[in-house]
Parts: sequence; structure tokens; C-alpha cells
Amino acid sequence: MTNTAADLIADISDSLAAVLPEQRWFAGKDRPIRAVLPVRATDLAGSDPRLIHAVVEVDQGESYRDRYQLMLGVRSDLPEFLGHAWVAACGDHAVYQAVHDPELTAVLLDLMARGVEVDGLGFATEPGVTLDTEQRSRPVGAEQSNTSLVYGQTYILKLFRKLAAGRSPDLELHRALTAVGCKHIAALLGSIEGALGADPVTYGMMSEFLRSAAEGWAMATASVRDLLADNQVIEGAPGHAQPNDPADAGGDFASEARRLGHAVATVHTDLATALGVSVASRGYLDALAAGMQRRLHRVVSQVAELAPHADVLRAAFDEVRDVDAPVPLQRIHGDLHLGQVLRTVSRWVLIDFEGEPMIPLADRIAPASALRDVAGMLRSFDYAAHHVPLGDADPEIHAAAALAWTTRNQEAFCDGYAQVAADPRKDAALLRAFELDKAIYEVSYEHANRPAWLPIPLAAVARLTS
Amino acid sequence: MPSDDLRAQTLDHQSPSDLEGIPHTGEAVRSDGHLVEPQAKDFEHAKAAPRDPYWYKHAVFYEVLVRAFHDSDCNGTGDLTGLTQKLDYLQWLGVDCLWLPPFYASPLRDGGYDISDYRAVLPEFGTVEDFVVLLDEAHKRGIRVITDLVMNHTSDQHPWFQESRRDPDGPYGDYYVWSDKDTGYADARIIFVDTEGSNWTYDPVRGQFYWHRFFSHQPDLNYENPAVGDAMIDVLRFWLDLGIDGFRLDAVPYLFEQEGTNCENLPRTHEFLKRCRKVVDDEYPDRVLLAEANQWPADVVEYFGDAAVGGDEAHMAFHFPLMPRIFMAVRRESRFPISEILAQTPTIPSGCQWGIFLRNHDELTLEMVTDEERDYMYSEYVKDPRMRANIGIRRRLAPLLDNDRNQLELFTALLLSLPGSPVLYYGDEIGMGDNIWLGDRDSVRTPMQWTPDRNAGFSRCDPGRIYLPVIMDPVYGYQAVNVEAQSTSSQSLLNWTRRMIQVRREHPAFGLGDFTELGCSNPSVLAYLRKYTDDGNDLVICVNNMSRFPQPVELDLSEYQDGVPVELTGGVRFPPIGELPYLLTLPGHGFYWFNIELPTPDVTRDQYRC
Ligand SMILES: Nc1ncnc2c1ncn2[C@@H]1O[C@H](COP(=O)(O)OP(=O)(O)OP(=O)(O)O)[C@@H](O)[C@H]1O
Repeated sequence: MTNTAADLIADISDSLAAVLPEQRWFAGKDRPIRAVLPVRATDLAGSDPRLIHAVVEVDQGESYRDRYQLMLGVRSDLPEFLGHAWVAACGDHAVYQAVHDPELTAVLLDLMARGVEVDGLGFATEPGVTLDTEQRSRPVGAEQSNTSLVYGQTYILKLFRKLAAGRSPDLELHRALTAVGCKHIAALLGSIEGALGADPVTYGMMSEFLRSAAEGWAMATASVRDLLADNQVIEGAPGHAQPNDPADAGGDFASEARRLGHAVATVHTDLATALGVSVASRGYLDALAAGMQRRLHRVVSQVAELAPHADVLRAAFDEVRDVDAPVPLQRIHGDLHLGQVLRTVSRWVLIDFEGEPMIPLADRIAPASALRDVAGMLRSFDYAAHHVPLGDADPEIHAAAALAWTTRNQEAFCDGYAQVAADPRKDAALLRAFELDKAIYEVSYEHANRPAWLPIPLAAVARLTS
Repeated sequence: MPSDDLRAQTLDHQSPSDLEGIPHTGEAVRSDGHLVEPQAKDFEHAKAAPRDPYWYKHAVFYEVLVRAFHDSDCNGTGDLTGLTQKLDYLQWLGVDCLWLPPFYASPLRDGGYDISDYRAVLPEFGTVEDFVVLLDEAHKRGIRVITDLVMNHTSDQHPWFQESRRDPDGPYGDYYVWSDKDTGYADARIIFVDTEGSNWTYDPVRGQFYWHRFFSHQPDLNYENPAVGDAMIDVLRFWLDLGIDGFRLDAVPYLFEQEGTNCENLPRTHEFLKRCRKVVDDEYPDRVLLAEANQWPADVVEYFGDAAVGGDEAHMAFHFPLMPRIFMAVRRESRFPISEILAQTPTIPSGCQWGIFLRNHDELTLEMVTDEERDYMYSEYVKDPRMRANIGIRRRLAPLLDNDRNQLELFTALLLSLPGSPVLYYGDEIGMGDNIWLGDRDSVRTPMQWTPDRNAGFSRCDPGRIYLPVIMDPVYGYQAVNVEAQSTSSQSLLNWTRRMIQVRREHPAFGLGDFTELGCSNPSVLAYLRKYTDDGNDLVICVNNMSRFPQPVELDLSEYQDGVPVELTGGVRFPPIGELPYLLTLPGHGFYWFNIELPTPDVTRDQYRC
């Protein structure tokens, strides 16, 4: 095999077009692929196996083409355990997804530990970090929009798949938070960065792997399940049609919710310290309200069930224009929910600071009100409470229990938050507007994708506007 | 010496526990005023247990109340001879060491922790000779025996105190902490807040106040006086000479006082412990000291002493906060209460070991949890205020867990596999119940249930004479719950517990291995690795489901790729560990213990692949 990396990518572009739609991280699944075009390709190691880093552009018939990062391995003889990673045949060699090959992913760790630049790809460790290059990797099993590799239960390397022009906010905010000694993130250890044309681009970031961590979502739903199971027992007993008080349930989550609120407020405070705070102008608030109204307008026209609430919602969003107290603006997480927080043995940790998915980078990195993160979390409690299947439970009792659980944990979260920063409940109008805006986004999403779930955000809209 | 005899008669210390005709301290007094105390050479000595300097690191302990176990002389109270008669049972169960709460002469105003003579046995329990027989018979069965020793204070009935209050200038005048004022050491907290208003009490005989950290009838010994330290070391030697295997040193943090401190964990207290340890090391190999210090693990490690020499104070100490956390974790269906406390537990010196327990003769202590957690434990486990004592819960394991067999097994499996030597509480192996209508802490101290016969086979006396009524309710009563019935049923809790103890014994990793929590994304599953490599390779993986619902878990075992997990209770071989995370499913409150059989070294991973 003597062809260059670029030639090889060009050779297999048809195969790539066939394989891409099968990848979890491929964002254009809804449109056919016309062509896969190489943007750049670099040999990172060896001849057999060989590791190629590539960026490709996917032509799906639109003016803007998404760019993706690929790690490809090339071997003369593909071992059985890599069979599932096969992408294409190239001469008598097999091309495959290198993230599954520990021998090749070791190369990435090695390059980062050495801090070298290869053909414009800058591998670097953060100041003061030394990496142990003996660790072998495996990809995490999780459903993910990027690809993360765990090295020996010690490091986690997130390889960004769909590339945006500009430095990743995840990397940027982790760096800023590390600099101010924030305790509620996974320590940042290294990065892979480069440039595409004139724009900087982030290819990967290496963090401390929190081996003892469990997702907030899993913990919250375990608590809900425990509460609902008790309700079912009580239902069976004659004369006991009352839902259980979640405060009395064995699996009560409130003390965790409180600590979580404390952690989120600490991260917000640290972000403000690291990157500054400004105060929202009238114009900003007008624009914010207008954006919320626009979304409302669009979703009301799609989802009939929302119509009865439309007037109250409009009024609620209008209140944003009239907020009197100064609204601080700062960098925030941007996409905070129970799936973005991990419980470790000692603390809660926030992950994935990429910001709101599907919106342009410039909007993702714009300073915003921290209440948006709080609202995201409050909505997430509501979802967790309703996520556990109904089983044969009485729907009314189930709903009452879920609501009681949501309220208790939302309050506990705000209590914990208020121990560190301003109590989010004090800015009721703004917080409610963020919650409603989020709920309307959820209405639109569920309407399009999971109609069975539509009642969750609709009930929240009804509750918040009553 | 007629005057001495006269003096002896004036000592009025025998009223609560009549030691007439039994060798005891103060039967005679020497002309210099010193009490004559019994000596070990006056008695037979037990043969030593087999040599094993680290036996306590892999032993299963069993706490047994002499009063509650077996009555050999039909007077309604268990005794040392009764316990000796039941040693075969304990050997069958697999117990390695008995821990006996105090059996010394005592007015019994604090369950025997108020010792009125360190060198005499409470007459209703028997004699020093009976104790030597117990030791000897236990050692023959490979069972060791330790007992409590309260070094901080005595009963106010102890002849030392009687002499001290009577004669301030005599040899015992300075044995206790006396003061004209009741204002000293104001920073020391009051421990028994329910009953004591001050740490000082006025003694009308001497006309001074005396210092006491516990009840006012338990005056603190004055360790500033070197004679007190010497006297206590002589007490240690007395029992060690008879053949005892060690002591649980009660209330150790309080030995010394110092103005301006909280009078706990003072450096001089540690110095004294080092002195006790040196006596044990130099004169009595294989004996252990277990410190009772109800403190956070980070503070308790101080009682192990210097890590550079493997520890030079206590060999063992109780890990108090772990126990309530186990209860919390299962109620919350979350591993974090346990993971968190273990992560906060410092490593201990190489020669040391934790003692861990689920229940003991005291209440389930909640001092070592946060206020919030304590409220939670009360609301979860204590529906009836009678079940609370001081800051704790006075219930046995089975009723605390609603007699749920799955939870009983899960809790026991945790006890036997978490780092530390497990301490079982008598009766919990058959799932005995409690009687919350009995006062104080007696609800968990009822007679052991041996048979469905009269008095549960504990005693042949008239039922009205038994020290506490046997449990008789339909669920936990002796007719339903007893050793005889359970020993013949292969499915019983007793046989299950025995089997688990056997399994534990077969794997040094449980007692001697390192502990590493295995991360997993499921918050309800607690998985850990116990790994012992000093002498061969012993790898045990324990996976516990804290939830009542079935749970999946994916474990990263790639370090042991190609190893085969073998389930320890049934020997079933599970699929070998591969490249990907190892998937297991657990039933509600289920658990697995696996031994990992590693492939023979000549089959390397690469050879496998080619
Ligand atoms: N530092 C860490 N330690 C342990 N696990 C982690 C760590 N970071 C991430 N994870 C796990 O990996 C998963 C994916 O991480 P992350 O959210 O950063 O990736 P992503 O591709 O941006 O995900 P998404 O699809 O949500 O955008 C998380 O859900 C979490 O369970």
C-alpha cells in the first residue's frame, strides 16, 4: 500500500457514503448522501496497521455541507474482533473504524502525551499534566453524538464527529473552569486542535474518566421507580387511594437534588469568575422575549393542543421585556439536564459543555442568563418523574405522585442552588419564561418524534400558566 | 493483721454483686493501704490457640452476651459454662472469634460496663475458673475469645473508688479525677445527654467533685497518675496470662483530660495505648487490641498508630459509619452512601484491620451520619419512638428489614465481603426478632433461641425466672425461629449464613485483599474487587443490587480479559471476560460473588487473537 492518505479516502468515498448513515453520530440521516468529499487526510501511524485521520465533507444537496472527523485504520488482515468496524476494501487491505482498535487508539494517547503536531493536527496536554501511555482504550457503549474512548478506566477522549468552525465550547469552558479550580467538572487533561481554512477547530478533548460515576438521570428515575412501586402496593389496600408522599419514600432523591443544585450554582459562579458577567440591556430582553414568541408562534401552528394556552403564554413571554431587576449574563452550560450530570462518590459533576444542540456556534457561546440552565434542570426533573412506565397503576395516582416528586426535587434543587448563588425562584417571571420556552420546544419535539410523550410538556405548560 | 481485716470489712463494695467466697480485689488490705488483688498464678491457664499473627485480619467475629446464650445451672441467666456447652454450635457455624461484652464483677447499672472488680467474674456468670475452661475449650476448637475492657472508668462500687473517696491521702487517693470545683474541662461534651447534666458529680464522702464522661456512677480513672496506668496494665496481664486472645478497649478516646481541649483523642491517650500495645507485642504474641472509638474513620485511624511500623496502637478498630450507610444505600436504592464512606476511609497500617458490623448489643448508632441522614433513618426504620435510644435505633437486623429474606441475605453478603472483619451479633444468623417493650437496650438482648421447647431451650428453669422473656410473637418467636429447626433445613437462613462463612474462609481476598470499587453506570449496583496477591492470586468480584427491582450492570473487567468468573456459592462458571464490558443481570436485592480464574500465563492475549 503506497497510496497517500488523501488518495485512499478518495478511493473509498463511495463506501463511506454507504457507511455514514449507519453511524450514530451522523446528523444527516434524513437526507440522501450525494457524495463524500475529502477535506484533509493525515497519516498518524504505521503501515500495517496504519492510522489515518481524515475530515470529510458530506454533500447532501444543500448549500452548506457538514464536515465530519474520521479515524480510519488500514490492515492487511483484519482480526475477527474488528470485523464489525469494517468500512471498505482497498486493494488487498481492509479499511475500518480505528476507534475500535486499541492498538491504533494508543497512537492518539501517545501523540498527546508527547505533545506533537502532525500536519497541522496539534496534540497537547494541559499545563502540568502527564499522561500514562500504557492505558488501552475501548469506545464507550453510550448512545452518543460524538465518539468517546475510555483509556484503562483513567482517561476519556471525546472525538468530535460533526465539526463546527471555531473552538469547541466544551473545551473552552473546561479550560476556563480548570483555571479557576472548579471542583464540579471532570479535569481537562489534553486536546487535539487544528484549523480548517481560517477557522480553528477542535478535534478532541481528553478528560479524567470518572470511573465511579452514574448519570443523574439513572439516579432520578431509580428514585421515581421506588416511589411509584410503593404507590402500587398502597393502591391494592382498600381505602388507601392516596399517593405516597415522596418525602417518606425510601428512595427519596431530595438530598441529591439539593447537592446537585449546589454544584450547578458553583459551576455558574466559577464560569462568571473565569469569563465575566455583564448586565442584560433592554434590547437584549426584548430580543429574548421576541425569540420565545417566535418559537411559540411556530409551535402553536403545528400542535393544536397548545392553542388554548397561547394567550397566557404570550403574556408570560411579554413579561420578560418588563423584568425590572438587572439580569446578569454570563457563559452557561446551555444544555443542562439530568443526563449531563454525573454523580461520583464525592460530588456531582457537570459534563458536555457544548451548549444547545442544533444551533450555530456563535449563539451557543453568547452570554446568557444562568436561569436558562436552571430551567433546563427543572424540566428534566419533570421528565424523570414521568419517564417510568405506568404499568398497571391508576393513572391519577401515578400523576399525583409524579407531580409531588417533581415539585419536591425542583424545590430541593433550588434550595441547594440558593446556598451558593441568588435563589432562582426570586426571578420568578424570567425563570418561568425559560421553563415555558423549554416546554414549548419539548412540545414541538414530542409532537414530531414521540407523540405518546406529548402530554408531559403539555401538562407542564398548563401547570406553569395556571 | 487484725487491723487489715477490720479495714476490709469496712469496704462496702460487695452489695450489688456478692463476691463472698470468690477471690476478689480487697478481700484483704496490706498495711500500706494497698488492696490485695487476685493474681493470674492463682488460677489454671488455658492452652493457647494455634499460632497465626494475623488471624484477626481474616476472622469472622461473633458477639455473644454470656447472659443471653445458654443457662447451664437453671437459674434463668446464661453463664460461662452454658456458653462453653454451645461451642460446638459456634464451631459448626464457622465462627473464628467470640467477643464477649464485660463479664466482670459489676453492679450492672450499665450492662456490666460499670466494672467493680477487674479480676473477678460476675458471680451469676460463674468464676475465673469457668472462664479458663471456656478459653481452653474454645481454643481446642480453633475459636478465640476476646472481651471488653473498660479502661476509662470503673463503677463507683470498685474498691479503688471506695478507697479514693474515703482516704484522699491513701494509695488510691489520686486514682480518680477529683476537684473542688465543677467547672474544669468545660469544652468536653456530655455524651449521655439524656441522663447526665454535667461531667462532674459531687461526692459527699470526700467533699469534692469527681469527673465522669459517662454515667455519674462511673468515675473516670486519673491517668495522670502513673500508678493508674500500671494498675491497668496489670489487669491486661492478668487476663492475658490466663490465655485470653485480646481485648476490645471500650471508650478509648477519653483516657486523659486536658484543659482547653474537648478531652478526646489527646496525644497522651495515644501514648498510653502504645504502652499497652508494647506489652502485648513483647509478652503476648497473637493477641489483639480492638479500639472502640466512635469517630469518623479519618480520626479512628489515629488509633492504629504509626503506619511505618504497621501500626503500634490498636490492631483493630470498629468502622462505625459504614453500618448506617449500608441501611441507607439499600433504602435509597443507591450505592453512593456506601461508596462515599469507603472513599473517605483512609488506608490503614499493614498490620491493622477494621471491624465491621450490621448490628450489635447497642443501638444502631447514628452519631456518624449527618443530621439529615439521621432524620431519614428515623423516618425509614423507626416508625415507633420506643425503638429509639439516645441517638440510634434499638432493633435487630431481621425486624429492621421486615424479615425480608432477600435483604437479609444481601446485608449479610455485604457484611462478609466489604473490607474489614465481620462481627455477627448472636441470634442474627437465625433471624431473631426483638422486643421493643423491654426497657433500655434490652430489646435486642433476649435469650438465644435454640429449640421450640420451653424457654427456647435456653434454660430449664421456671419461665418466670428468665432474666428477660424469650421472644414469643408469631413471626420471630422461638417456636418459629430457632437453631434446631434451622439447622435441619437446608434452605434456612442459618445454613445459608454458615455456607457464606465457609465460602469466605476459602478466599483470603475477603479478609486480606485490597478493596477497589468497580465503576459502573448503574447507580443501584455496588460492585467491587477484592484482590489478594501476596500468596498466590485470589481475585474476588462482588456485585450487589441495592434496588428491589432487577438491574443490569456492565462492568469493565478488561484487565482480566479471558478470565472466567466462577460463582462462589454454586461453582457455576460464567462466560469468559472479553474485550467488551461484562454484562450481568441481578434480581432485586440480588448479589453475586465471583472468583476470577485467570487463564494460564502461557496463553497470552496475542496468541489468542492470531
Ligand atoms: N469524565 C467522564 N467520566 C465518566 N464518564 C463520562 C465522562 N464524560 C462523559 N462520560 C459518559 O459518556 C457519555 C457521553 O459523554 P458526552 O455527553 O460528553 O458526549 P457527547 O457525544 O457530547 O454526548 P451527547 O450525545 O449527549 O451530545 C456521558 O453520557 C457519560 O455517561
